Amino acid sequence: MTRYAMVVDLRRCVGCQTCTAACRHTNATPPGVQWRWVLDVEAGDYPDVSRTFLPVGCQHCEEPPCEAVCPTTATRKRDDGIVTIDYDLCIGCAYCSVACPYFARYKVTERQNAFGDRAIPNEDKRADPGKIGVATKCTFCVDRIDDGLAKGLKPGVDPDATPACANACIAGALVFGDIEDPNSRASQLLRENESFRMHEELGTGPGFYYLWDKKQ
Amino acid sequence: MTASTPERTGKVATYCYQCVAGPDLLKVKVEDGVATAIEPNFDAQGVHPADGRVCVKAFGLIQKAYNPNRVLAPMKRTNPKKGKDEDPGFVEITWDEALDLVAEKLTKVRAEGLLDRAGYPRLAASFGGGGTPTAYMGTFPAFLSAWGPVDLSFGSGQGVKCYHSEHLYGELWHRAFIVCPDTPRTRYIVSFGSNIEASGGVCGVWRHANARVEQGVKRVQIEPHLSVTGGCSAEWVPIKPKTDAAFMHAMIYVLIHENDRERLDVPFLKHMTASGYLVGPNGYYLRDPDTRKPLVWDLTQGKAVPFDTPGNDPALDGRFTASGIEVGPDEAIFRHDGVEVATSFQMLLDHERTFTPEWAETICEVPAATIRRVANEYLDHAEVGATIEIEGRTLPFRPVAVTLGKTVNNGWGGYDCCWARTLLACLVGALDVPGGTIGTAVRLNRPANDRQSSAKPGLDGFMDYPWNPTDKENWISRPQIRNANRTLVPLVANSAWSAALGPTHLAWMQQRHRFENFPEPTQPDVWFFYRTNPVISFWDTPAIADVVAKFPFVVAFAYTHDETNHFADVLLPDCTDLESLQMIRIGGTKYVEQFWDHQGFALRQPAVPAQGEARDFTWIATELARRSGILEKYNQAINRGAAGVPLKGPNYDFTLDPATPHSVETIWDASCRAASAELTEGEEDHGLDWWQEHGFRTIDYPRLQWFLYPHLVDNNMRFELPYQERIFRIGQELGNRLHESGIDWWDRQLLEYQPLPVFHDFSALIKSAVLSNLGGREEDYPFWLLTARSMQYSWGGNVSLQMVREISQNIKGHRGVIMNAGRAAELGIEDGDLVEVRSPLRETRGRVVLLQGIRPDTLLMIGQFDHWITPYAKGFEMPSMNSLVPMLMDLTDATGSAADIVPVSIKRIGGAQ
Repeated sequence: MTRYAMVVDLRRCVGCQTCTAACRHTNATPPGVQWRWVLDVEAGDYPDVSRTFLPVGCQHCEEPPCEAVCPTTATRKRDDGIVTIDYDLCIGCAYCSVACPYFARYKVTERQNAFGDRAIPNEDKRADPGKIGVATKCTFCVDRIDDGLAKGLKPGVDPDATPACANACIAGALVFGDIEDPNSRASQLLRENESFRMHEELGTGPGFYYLWDKKQ
Repeated sequence: MTASTPERTGKVATYCYQCVAGPDLLKVKVEDGVATAIEPNFDAQGVHPADGRVCVKAFGLIQKAYNPNRVLAPMKRTNPKKGKDEDPGFVEITWDEALDLVAEKLTKVRAEGLLDRAGYPRLAASFGGGGTPTAYMGTFPAFLSAWGPVDLSFGSGQGVKCYHSEHLYGELWHRAFIVCPDTPRTRYIVSFGSNIEASGGVCGVWRHANARVEQGVKRVQIEPHLSVTGGCSAEWVPIKPKTDAAFMHAMIYVLIHENDRERLDVPFLKHMTASGYLVGPNGYYLRDPDTRKPLVWDLTQGKAVPFDTPGNDPALDGRFTASGIEVGPDEAIFRHDGVEVATSFQMLLDHERTFTPEWAETICEVPAATIRRVANEYLDHAEVGATIEIEGRTLPFRPVAVTLGKTVNNGWGGYDCCWARTLLACLVGALDVPGGTIGTAVRLNRPANDRQSSAKPGLDGFMDYPWNPTDKENWISRPQIRNANRTLVPLVANSAWSAALGPTHLAWMQQRHRFENFPEPTQPDVWFFYRTNPVISFWDTPAIADVVAKFPFVVAFAYTHDETNHFADVLLPDCTDLESLQMIRIGGTKYVEQFWDHQGFALRQPAVPAQGEARDFTWIATELARRSGILEKYNQAINRGAAGVPLKGPNYDFTLDPATPHSVETIWDASCRAASAELTEGEEDHGLDWWQEHGFRTIDYPRLQWFLYPHLVDNNMRFELPYQERIFRIGQELGNRLHESGIDWWDRQLLEYQPLPVFHDFSALIKSAVLSNLGGREEDYPFWLLTARSMQYSWGGNVSLQMVREISQNIKGHRGVIMNAGRAAELGIEDGDLVEVRSPLRETRGRVVLLQGIRPDTLLMIGQFDHWITPYAKGFEMPSMNSLVPMLMDLTDATGSAADIVPVSIKRIGGAQ
């Protein structure tokens, strides 16, 4: 079996949003739609304060709440753990957006450009009417993964088979891979480090692991 | 003719050098001639220190190219009146018209003489931060070289926004224009406000992330607000603004007065520094009368001997009776026969005796126990005596480092902090050795591409340094440029970078009021500027606007309309990063934390066709040279290497015919061939086609050259610390020269030329200077206003890009003024309220962002905004500290810089939106 997941090392992340920008480019998301972004979290009271940078997005859950509420079966979980949306099936009801505890879904109802009415060439080139009026979210760059696999490449190892955010990360904080493969970098990191998953108590089984310290 | 404009599909290799922490390598995904995505260049895995990645700024390049608000045709001003509220009346003209208009002025200047009646260059030019515009201006450096004297002294941020003291003192002490840890090997970093995670670029972030996780580095971040870097550090110590010198003095105190001497690196201090040099009663080294060599007290023989006497064992501390001479200012000789002298280290011991952690606590508002703990942790981690093997050579291994941030190391206190930081390294033998505090690049010394080669033996066992002369015969009494850099700042040297490292605000200040007994502050006849917006990015920005408005002829290389080119006479739209052609050097060691195992060249090439009438900068430079009658000199400058690589070398010759204008492709094809040949000793001569396909080409760069220590050992040199005899003497001489000329307005700066920095409460000094010049009561300005760099914006020229704005909003502080939440509650201010922040100079407005991670007496305005013309950015309503900070002589230190800090008040004037 394969279970693709993202392992995020919170000791590395600097909140630069390079992953956010790389995702915007690769997936041609419109202004304001950030399938991947990084939270800037402050905790404590002066002078005992901490600041943590927390990459977030679709958690590609084992039990996706979004899938359960989808009336058209547009949202599905693949055998490899990636949660996808079939835009041809999606009717834009947004039940999934409400159900997602990670605020990971977006829906835009009309084309939006960076500079208002003045579309620029890359926006015209990448415009996808199929993504208007439907739910969208991080796909772990599933097209890259599938294309890469078809070429014999290994997700998490070969850039052409790896999500753009992980490729672009300048801190090595985002590591993508198959956590069922004990030899993957992601598995190795999970073995060696303490980790948590967001809102684990909800039973969603996120495919997003946050490392925070070495195991003693 | 412009560079090729492909309509291709594929991935185009190029580079990003928008910020000083670059260059970095990337690829542009192009579909049918349209750029659609930026990606890392994974061909550079194992070559580029961050394996071919680029930071978030590079992802803005596509919007930068296609921004509908670009200036896409040459324009001329039709309204002769210039002012903030005057509509320039820009109208489009042809390139021929625009270039002829500029060339006509240039030709007139050449006919009248390159220097004006005051002796200043008639042509001036200003460029953006850290030399990065050079990586985009094609062959324009060849135009400037061919022209002759050009005044580069009107700063656009240099001196007030840079690591100024570090640049100058760093180069003096260890060829370190920028200083950083040897991050891959260090284990303990004391960072005084160095916001490396925001300003260190891809390589900085990559190295520090690895260090945190793989080496377990402990970094203590000492700064008034919890920056991005503070958030990524093991510990945050909130310190009162601009009191870092006191903290560092106390660290020195703990090391030298509270710990056994044997815990320090005594052999390093004795033989790699001047700690043993004897100091005479007048404060100068005691010297051998015949050779003039400094004397040390040899413990073996029990007498004073020249420092380089073979086999001597110099006393580190103590006082002795000895004979010799002191050489004072202007060759004053003081002869001594049996006089009491002290070692330099003894002078240090005496100097630091009162700087206890308990004393520092009263200055810094940091508990003495914290200061003492940090000092002892630093010492504990230093591993004095340890060694490491680098490329087969055994070197000291000292995994501790001290780094300084921007406001810490410019302006008053910069000398003290740079000295203290460098001394802290020397005390444990950690200066420019593996694991320690090391330099990254040279800009004032030559050659610029190799730190080791730039360190040549000089007097007294130290590295030579290109001081500007202060002796009576050679002092440059008439400034050569309007910031008077070589006249006032001996340390600024005389390289191509020296103009930008002079007191750049003096150039602006003099345009408003003449300095006594100084040349008439004339205006430049023609002023060029590129990739900079000083009406936003300098200080007292309305005053800068007033000055620029009076310049007679201003030529702007324009991207969009902005606050500075609002006052221009001609706008010339150059191609942006993804549209134009240029080759640059990569590799070796370079700031901020670029340490490569490779060196070579990278090509920037058109990934997409030029938009509108934008032209490649090389084409513009060639046309300006041709039309202003300096084509032959321009081509000769290119042949000499002004475009980045000499076209003729020992094994190759690709020189261009000087008499003919050459196309962009011809020029860069020759450069490509020369670069190939230079890298391969003439074996290869790959032309432009090869470089367009491959993007970069490198050869190995020895890791031993990352460190200065082995070069000093090999050449019998030592570090010029702790005692600053040369600085002391040069300061005396400079004072003599200035006073002989009737100049006393630089006296406060002269006081900084001390052999051991005399401590001041710089926080109090700065407040006093502002209030005494501008008026107001101290209690009316209870806050300090600071700034911090934003990785998303710094140096990027990208404020008009939607995507950059959008993603920056994910990071706290990009929406307004950061304030301590508890203090705000006391004042009835709530998050998002509209507030007015007022300095004694003027006021600005913005929304308040309440956080816990900032001192209650501190406000923070990230970046530089406050735009009122720049499309898109003018809608941000983001305040900037720049309009609130005055340009004052009393805020100017001896190196000619001042710090980004000003006392302010804050009051609520409206509710949240």
